Amino acid sequence: MDLSRLIQRNLKKTRFIIGVVITTFILFLALFSPWIAPYPREGYGYVPLEYENRKLQPPSLNHLFGTDVLGRDLFSRIAIGASTAIIQAFTVIFLSLLIGLFAGISAAYFKGVVELVLNYLIELFMAIPAIVIALFLRLSTGPGLHVVIISLVTTWWAWYARITYVYAKSIVEMDYVVLAKLSGLSDLKIIERHVLRNIIQPITVQAISDLGSALLEASAINFMGLGLPPGHPDWGVILYEGITSLSLEAFIRAPWLVVFPGLFILITTLGFTLIADPLREDLDPRLRRRWRLWF
Amino acid sequence: MVLAVKTVNLRIGYLDEEEEKIQWAVRGVDLEIQEGESFCLVGESGSGKTTLANAIAGILPPHAVTQGKVYIFDKLVVDDSSRNYNGVRGRIVNYIPQNPGTSLNPFLTIEDHFYYVLRDLYKYDKSKSKSIAIETLSKVGLTSEILDYYPHELSGGMKQRVLIALALASNARIIVADEPTSSVDASLRAGILGLLSKLNKEYRVTLIIVTHDIKMTSAICNRTAVMYSGEIVEIGKTSIILQSPKHPYTRMLMECVPILGVEKPLKPLPGEPTRIFEDISWCSFRERCPYASVECKTTPSMIPVGDDESHFVKCWRFHEVA
Amino acid sequence: MPISLNYVLKRTFLSILIVIGVIVFTYTLLIITPGDPAVKWAGNPRGPKAHEAVELARRELGLDQPIYIQIARFIYNVFTGNLGLSIAYKIPVTQVVYSGFTSTLELLLFTYILAVPVGVLLGLYSALRRGSSIDGFIQSFSVVLASTPTFWLATIIVLVIYSTTGFLPYGRVSSKLEITTGFQSITGFYLLDSLLQGNIPVFLDVLTRLIPPALAISVYPLGVITRVTRTLIAEALLEDYVKAGVAWGVNRTTILKHFVFRSIIPPIIQTSGLAFVYSMVDAMVVESLVFGRPGLGSILLDALHKADFRVALALVIYLTIFYIIVNTLVDIIQAIIDPRVKL
Repeated sequence: MDLSRLIQRNLKKTRFIIGVVITTFILFLALFSPWIAPYPREGYGYVPLEYENRKLQPPSLNHLFGTDVLGRDLFSRIAIGASTAIIQAFTVIFLSLLIGLFAGISAAYFKGVVELVLNYLIELFMAIPAIVIALFLRLSTGPGLHVVIISLVTTWWAWYARITYVYAKSIVEMDYVVLAKLSGLSDLKIIERHVLRNIIQPITVQAISDLGSALLEASAINFMGLGLPPGHPDWGVILYEGITSLSLEAFIRAPWLVVFPGLFILITTLGFTLIADPLREDLDPRLRRRWRLWF
Repeated sequence: MVLAVKTVNLRIGYLDEEEEKIQWAVRGVDLEIQEGESFCLVGESGSGKTTLANAIAGILPPHAVTQGKVYIFDKLVVDDSSRNYNGVRGRIVNYIPQNPGTSLNPFLTIEDHFYYVLRDLYKYDKSKSKSIAIETLSKVGLTSEILDYYPHELSGGMKQRVLIALALASNARIIVADEPTSSVDASLRAGILGLLSKLNKEYRVTLIIVTHDIKMTSAICNRTAVMYSGEIVEIGKTSIILQSPKHPYTRMLMECVPILGVEKPLKPLPGEPTRIFEDISWCSFRERCPYASVECKTTPSMIPVGDDESHFVKCWRFHEVA
Repeated sequence: MPISLNYVLKRTFLSILIVIGVIVFTYTLLIITPGDPAVKWAGNPRGPKAHEAVELARRELGLDQPIYIQIARFIYNVFTGNLGLSIAYKIPVTQVVYSGFTSTLELLLFTYILAVPVGVLLGLYSALRRGSSIDGFIQSFSVVLASTPTFWLATIIVLVIYSTTGFLPYGRVSSKLEITTGFQSITGFYLLDSLLQGNIPVFLDVLTRLIPPALAISVYPLGVITRVTRTLIAEALLEDYVKAGVAWGVNRTTILKHFVFRSIIPPIIQTSGLAFVYSMVDAMVVESLVFGRPGLGSILLDALHKADFRVALALVIYLTIFYIIVNTLVDIIQAIIDPRVKL
């Protein structure tokens, strides 16, 4: 099934449309937030001079989502934060996918020592928790986007490598690939024609749904204060600043500080899932078949 | 004579994925099978033979649409769209599935298979079901040792025998076997067929065998129906159909099967059965038929052939089929 | 037991290889990142004794020796449990990490013992009522659950509980109660210990402080397991042996119980195992920053603030071993349940 037909079929499904709408909205926000946000400079972390008067204001027409502890407009911070969210999720998944595809296909295709070593590396990096790698990087290099990206890619690539490996392994053993090899087709051609082409669709769908998980993990790292520095426009950082700079009593009186950034993480993740799920059902014949209880 | 199975203008179709169109797999089948008969349903894949067998065994999938009627020993089990096999499924009609490799529950021992079947059918307890299991297993040539085995520990031939024993243990009077020999080694086929024949002859079980290989079952089935595109195109005594097939399709089916010791050119069947979504008035075999002519724009009803009262064919030009 | 000696040996060998791999990887991180590794290892010390501390760290790491000897020494130190003293706590790092481990594990186990059955039931109910409005609701609900950031939900739970009841679900047990009842934990699992000691007030207190974080952490397993169960049942219903069972006359309840449900248990255990490891991170984040519970999360935060590389290293190794153990357990349970699986 080609991609355009796949998408066309799914445009009938409400879930899919909701997913597309949400994702489009977030992408739009990520691209155009500097023009949408009423206080773009505050969105990037600038503290207004008169912040004493402006801090912790509840949502109003002036400040749609209220203001934070330093008097910054929360809506602007969250809007600008959309780009951070998208950058983190896409970079992590894209890099992991590249490495994973390369490693997984190599392991399945070349066999022998390459297969053994790659499988060991896959096992190894799946076992390492990203959050502690983030701690390591943070301690040695200080805060920044690279902490989030590197620590997540460290474990995520292994996930794709394993999916790719299992999938490619089953294809490589099929008769037509063996035949292609016998008929003298070059390795690169075989990989491109028989392995990559078959694998690209299911793994893309998997990647779309993983964008959400990557965002959740990136947010958790930032929420722990391990990734991006305070003041950075990131939803996890906004939450982190909220709960570390206020007493509980003050916090209860400013619930918008919690509700909005988390809500954006939630709906962004939801958007990716809602797009990927119906696509996955279409690609997996087992999920497509009917199975009403009939006995 | 008592009728074991009777279908009246039975039509079975499957809803497509979008639930918009119905693809008809069985189109207006009238069939009567006597008690004690050994009956064979022959056809290519896609001819509707398995669907028809499933309708008799009571295992049509939920998205199947039915019209017409099916009686099992006078009990109406399919009445247009309503299907009710309670009290019939398992007890009166039982079933030998096509693929022995996947048709036994991998999480149950062989003994538990018998136990759950017999408990649900007859409320037998563990010891009673065990003794029945031992008894039926010995009938199919298996020892009681395998009772503690899990399906994956048995060979393909053993699994097939267990499946036959399970159908036998239920004491059902009709047994539907779906391609009983297709996934068994050639060396074991004769044994399996012999067993089925024994069910029919010794235990007076009405046997309905579904197959694509007309020669295979000729030894044990006394009557055969040939299906094409959801219709029965020819029906009659197996021996007569084998000797003088009257439908061009039956003839072509015979020509593509090798016979041991007989040297003849094998002719592959060209094309494949058409998928049918709407009612068609013409003969569905027309496109593949070498004898097709203007008449074939309409489908004939069953035409009696020759002296034998049980031989019918659905073809205008059966005289020309030598 | 369907477990062969071969499996035990292979598994042990691979586990050791993985632990070594983790050590090599983290050591490499320590060396290749900017800055003097000895300074980092000493915890960026300041003041008059700084130079001394750095020199000690340099000797500890053996930085004057070739890299492979450094790594070999390091691996040796890990396997002999000799990772040195924690900068932050001044006690051996293995002890530091171990003390936090039971707390986090208790929280996780408590969450999963509740979340997995509920998830399975929801998925089962949803699958059996396919196409109904309840099915639609459960499906949407589980998708939303799996997309919810746990730390956010946790914060909201604390705010809601505190603002409505005035109770603050912080820590593992009220220290006042701990003193008045003389409660002392032996195993590190407070819930179990208080119950065994018959200390009901402490038991209830521990429970009330356990439920809010568990609720937050449970969204992920609940969402995932509900969805997986539904899919698995859908697949199981299409199996040949289910069709055969129906044809044999096996009734509906038996089919569901012994033909369908049995087959979904092994993959559900596998999914739960994976999710369990994943939730470890959730638990660490939630317990430390939101619920103020001592545990691996708070240890991680302390390591962050004190630049304690040794603790960070011990954390990586512990969590890797934890991952290996959970996966091995999952394998073993699979082999026990599924007659086809032999290890």
